[in-house]
Amino acid sequence: MVTKKNTSVTRGSSYSRREFIVRSGLVGAGAIALPSILAACGGSDGGGGGTQSVFFENWPEYIDAQTVAAFTKDTGYNLKYTEAFNDNNEYFAKIQPSMSKGNSIDPDIIAPTFWMASRMLQLGWLQKLDASKIPNKKNLRSDLQNPAWDPNNEYSLPWQTGIAGIAYNIKVTGRELKSVEDLFDTAFKGKIGMLTEMRDTIGLIAMGQGKKLGEVSSFNEVADAFDKLEKAKNDGQIRSFTGNDYIDDLSSGNFAACVGWSGDVLQLGKDNPDVRFVVPEEGGTSWYDAMIWMKGSENADAVSAFMNYVYDPVNAARITAEVQYMSPVAGVRDELVKMGGDVAALADNPLLFPDDATLATLQSWGALPEAEEALLDERFAAITGA
Amino acid sequence: MTTLRNLFTRSPENIGAGVMVVLGLGIIALAAEWVSGPLAVLVAVFMLAAIVSIVWTAFVGGLDTRRALAPYGLLKPGILWLCLFFLAPLWSMLQMSLSSKKSRFDFFPSFSWQWSNYSDAITNFGPQFTRSFFYAATATVLTLAIGYPLAYVIAFRGGKYRTLLLGLVAVPFFTSYLIRTLAWQNLLADSGPVVSMVNTLQLSGVLETLKIMDGGRLINTPAAVIGGLTYNFLPFMVLPIFVSLEKIDVRLVDAAMDLYSTARGAFRKVVLPMSLPGIFAGSLLVFIPAAGDFVNAQFLGNPRTTMIGNSIQDQYLRQLNYPVASAMSLVLMFVITISVLFYARFMGTDDLV
Repeated sequence: MVTKKNTSVTRGSSYSRREFIVRSGLVGAGAIALPSILAACGGSDGGGGGTQSVFFENWPEYIDAQTVAAFTKDTGYNLKYTEAFNDNNEYFAKIQPSMSKGNSIDPDIIAPTFWMASRMLQLGWLQKLDASKIPNKKNLRSDLQNPAWDPNNEYSLPWQTGIAGIAYNIKVTGRELKSVEDLFDTAFKGKIGMLTEMRDTIGLIAMGQGKKLGEVSSFNEVADAFDKLEKAKNDGQIRSFTGNDYIDDLSSGNFAACVGWSGDVLQLGKDNPDVRFVVPEEGGTSWYDAMIWMKGSENADAVSAFMNYVYDPVNAARITAEVQYMSPVAGVRDELVKMGGDVAALADNPLLFPDDATLATLQSWGALPEAEEALLDERFAAITGA
Repeated sequence: MTTLRNLFTRSPENIGAGVMVVLGLGIIALAAEWVSGPLAVLVAVFMLAAIVSIVWTAFVGGLDTRRALAPYGLLKPGILWLCLFFLAPLWSMLQMSLSSKKSRFDFFPSFSWQWSNYSDAITNFGPQFTRSFFYAATATVLTLAIGYPLAYVIAFRGGKYRTLLLGLVAVPFFTSYLIRTLAWQNLLADSGPVVSMVNTLQLSGVLETLKIMDGGRLINTPAAVIGGLTYNFLPFMVLPIFVSLEKIDVRLVDAAMDLYSTARGAFRKVVLPMSLPGIFAGSLLVFIPAAGDFVNAQFLGNPRTTMIGNSIQDQYLRQLNYPVASAMSLVLMFVITISVLFYARFMGTDDLV
């Protein structure tokens, strides 16, 4: 459904319009590039030589091929980029021994999901960002500014944002899905997948039960959603709880439908058009991964320079074109159009730039008291059976 | 000087044993953090003194002294390894299993005789424990049923192809454990080759009755988990049995036949008893790792087939509940040890353990 709409829009865009946009884009790019060149000079003169480097440990396949090299070329700082971040909880367990002893970890920047970043902030593991050195912070999308857990984005800047909704393989379902209830349709018994990411799985079910996620402040308010999940598990409705690997099961048809993330399904949909993604009519959860600066890291200038760099809409658009998640940077849409070709079509993709109606259905979890969050996690662990 | 030398060289065995105890305890004390600060330095100095003293004893003592010290010297690497990588962690785990956390993300739970960790481990994860032992035991029986005839044929009928056949048993296992398990995911997938073959042959009804298939699928079922365990641990059963069968003198079977034994009788009374050590070793090599395995349940199972290994991993890495996870690990170790001891008694092969 969604895919079809895209193609027609792409075909519809006229040459002259695109040409115009490309030309104005060149002018725009020049205007944007100039300050960044100046900044690079300033960085290498004032920052004690261009030897400072920044180490960013991120989720897999979450950046484009050029940014790492281009960042060094444009700013003079070295960038070490690794993809060893696979799971919020496991990464937390991995760095906890160092951080809780007050030691530093190797990466300067990591990008956990917002709730994990919030936990790290509460534990005192983060350093305050130097806003004066990140002028591009002004490009942060207005709806992402000022999150409850980090007022004024003093400690964090979103890396990418996305939607959790229902991913399905139409070859197996035989019909379009539109509601959370479809996941509990007995026709799909044993062919339903759920995410091990508690906030997305429980969030969708709770929204299906009419809950407002942002207002949830205790375990009891969403206890029904856990009961529903547990019943589905005991009935054999749920085939497995997965992380990112749900993609394989969905593609091969082991899953008829599952809870999934928008960007993954977009990337997969390019190869397998049977795989679709829908934001359920009851609403989807919106989440974001937040770049944070770890305590003990001494590369302040390089860290600021990097965050500033990826908040430049030109650079952000290049990343978006590759990873196909929603960018937190305002102005990316225009840049995508300027890039032209297939990439320009992304500017009209409702999963990258949701329309107001879809945006209105998206919800995200508010901050939960620690004791209540523990209850949710424990109950979820008991259900997933691990 | 001479008296000192006499003191050391007179009973080199005692010196050797003494130094080993000092070094072993010293390593555990340092690694398990029994001591810290200046006391740790003292322990280290003490250990160094022990090493110097034994080297000196060996140096000034004669050939006899060195000969008496040699066994201790040879034992030392193994013993110290065991102290550093088994006893010291075991001690830490024991301590952790009786500790309690002050807050949810407390990384340094304090020791407080928290016995409730053990009751939590047993009551909350009872089904996972019983399931793990059931799966592991089933897999052990299956590997025996598949592996024994295989080892028998290779050992007695292999002829000049014996080495080749044995190699064929081992070759698939040069590939990573994880990759092989993931490969089964594809083979058993709903639209995969095995399921479509079963459907073509109209066998799904039979397999459903046998509880191997569940709702028309092979993967994400208990049978798939047990099958994965059986497949992955098969060589650990075949190789020890092969070794014990290979040692059997075939003329003993001829002798039994000469004494009017039937072929079946000869197998039951001659070959089988002589291969028991292999069966015993193979069963242990399969059962123990299978009971703690978490890979097969994760990739081939469903939320109702989780094994205790998955639960321990989840408690350690996702719930960050180190005390309960430690208690679970120790309960698992305890149950396995007890069952192995019973098994050894039952099999009458005490001389093996």
